[in-house]
Amino acid sequence: MKSTEYTEKVLDHFRNPRNVGVIENPDGYGKVGNPICGDLMYMYIKVAKNNNDEEYIEDIKFKTFGCGSAVATSSMITEMAKGITLDEAYKITRQDVADELEGLPPIKMHCSNLAADALKAAIDNYRTGAEPEVEVATSCQLEIRVILGFDEFLGKGAFREAPENLEELRDKRILIIDSGDNSLELALQLTEYTGRVIVVTSSKGVPGREEIAKNLKKSDVKILHQSDLLEVKGELDEVERVVLHDYDEDENYELYVDVVIKLNYRG
Amino acid sequence: MSFYLDYQAAKPVDVRVVSEMTMYLNQKFANPSSLHCEGDEATDALSDSRQKVADFINSPNPDSIIFTSGATESNNLAIIGAAMRNQKKGNHIIISEIEHISILNIAKYLERQGFKVSRVPVDQYGIVRLDKLARLITDKTILISISTASNEVGSLQPIGKISDIATKNNILFHTDAVASESVIPLDVQEIPFDLVTLSSNDIYGPRGVGALYLKKGVRVNPIIIGGGQERGLRSGSENVPGIVGFAKAAEIMKAEINNDAERLKILRDKVIKGILESIPKSYLNGHPELRLPYNAHFRFDYIEGESLILSLKDENVAVATGSACSSKTLEPSHTLIAMGLLHEEAHGSLVVTLGRYTQEKDIDKLIEVLPNIVKRLRLLSPLTPPDLIKKYNEVNE
Repeated sequence: MKSTEYTEKVLDHFRNPRNVGVIENPDGYGKVGNPICGDLMYMYIKVAKNNNDEEYIEDIKFKTFGCGSAVATSSMITEMAKGITLDEAYKITRQDVADELEGLPPIKMHCSNLAADALKAAIDNYRTGAEPEVEVATSCQLEIRVILGFDEFLGKGAFREAPENLEELRDKRILIIDSGDNSLELALQLTEYTGRVIVVTSSKGVPGREEIAKNLKKSDVKILHQSDLLEVKGELDEVERVVLHDYDEDENYELYVDVVIKLNYRG
Repeated sequence: MSFYLDYQAAKPVDVRVVSEMTMYLNQKFANPSSLHCEGDEATDALSDSRQKVADFINSPNPDSIIFTSGATESNNLAIIGAAMRNQKKGNHIIISEIEHISILNIAKYLERQGFKVSRVPVDQYGIVRLDKLARLITDKTILISISTASNEVGSLQPIGKISDIATKNNILFHTDAVASESVIPLDVQEIPFDLVTLSSNDIYGPRGVGALYLKKGVRVNPIIIGGGQERGLRSGSENVPGIVGFAKAAEIMKAEINNDAERLKILRDKVIKGILESIPKSYLNGHPELRLPYNAHFRFDYIEGESLILSLKDENVAVATGSACSSKTLEPSHTLIAMGLLHEEAHGSLVVTLGRYTQEKDIDKLIEVLPNIVKRLRLLSPLTPPDLIKKYNEVNE
């Protein structure tokens, strides 16, 4: 799928974005993204109370620098959020935004994530006075980028959580995306089952808190620094290869693996 | 009606080329390796074509032309072939930072095979730094590969001087001439290139065919092994219809190149002037004069290129961008970054490339619709400074 193959609904929101602008003296204000990465969103909200004495979004406006889907997802989420309670608005996920737009090209999924994050940041800013600026990810990509093909191979070598019985993974070549200490602990644990465990991390140094980093250094876990997983490929319905990106070398390359694990981020 | 301004990406095949090719698809279809009369006819067509392509670059020797499947293959044969052939002499290759992706990736491949690759930096206009080039040369350097012009920002490279440096140091010089072959005559007797990559589509011939010129005495290892066609350097039954079309395109190009270039230069200057004058905070990337006559490469502050392309698409204007958001890797153009642009600047680029069938109405359309598109996107963008927003709103009232 081409990165610009958009649905009619995405194009409609791009051509006629709703709720563009700035709210002077907003109740909440959120800012996510980074022009270096090609996306920057500002979200402003005005909060009021409804008949049930619940707080709801009375008005919402945005400004966005970015591609077609960045504009469309910002516009979409303002339509979704306007008039609903803060609690409901806070629960809007990137998938909700993408679904409402009748889908986004996989490589553009991170745009909808940005829109959801911008709204959350604005609500947080209203509720707690939290900083309106959200660092999306250190490398621009790691947390926000959707991995092409990953969902297609779920259960066929791609995992969002470790299998109940790790024995299932014995002697497999395993690639784990660094998504915090949980994932690193799993990597260490898996060295008991297989000789080939690879961790992909955006960091320059050995990731994890001190003790984990120390154990990782001692272990046979292979760490790919300043790297990101772009794509999972396979044949006969099984994970066979991954495409990795090395930010330091600015190079994409393929690696043969059997299993790809990307745990949900839990710190 | 559509307004096609993306000739750098693909060109239509000239109708004169199509009519020349047709017969070789279904009537004179034989294999040049066959010994019968039909085979002889194909052999004749092949020799005739080789002569025409040799004439196109003023090569005295038709055998200097090796037909390939296109520019990417020619680059592979030139660089990998020369590297493998000469690896006893040395393992060092020099390219530039702004080469076409095929050359960048060939260089990475050779690095994995143990070769060392240096990348000559460019100046702010995207022109190769000759001083740096000279300093990168070692006694292990076997090949320099630098294009005649940047395929992206259109900057013309000092190939004559690069050739002098290569000759003086006894190093092979390969140039990818694809970006300039439709507008700048290439004379291999005037500049003693060792290897030159040519493409058929870039001179309005069919796609899937190209050539590599090899100076007499220059040797490379083949990268495609088989029946030994093309002097053993490119096996596989010859694509006779494609080659005939390529040769016809070369013949036409040789006759019309100066006219084409003159005409395109006038259109290009009109589009550059029209856009820079009507859009505030717009800039020309690349050199103002030392640039391909068909290339105009812009950037606009505060907005992103994919949004521009999408908006122009709604007006039936076809252009390109160097923005990361439109690329497969989400990385911005390496050329713009090498030229010293910030990432966010590279995101706002627009590439306009003209060709043989571009008419004044095409660029007039772009000049007519672009200012409002840029304005609309800027009014959406949080990066646009308040004074510019104010200016835009004042014009409205």
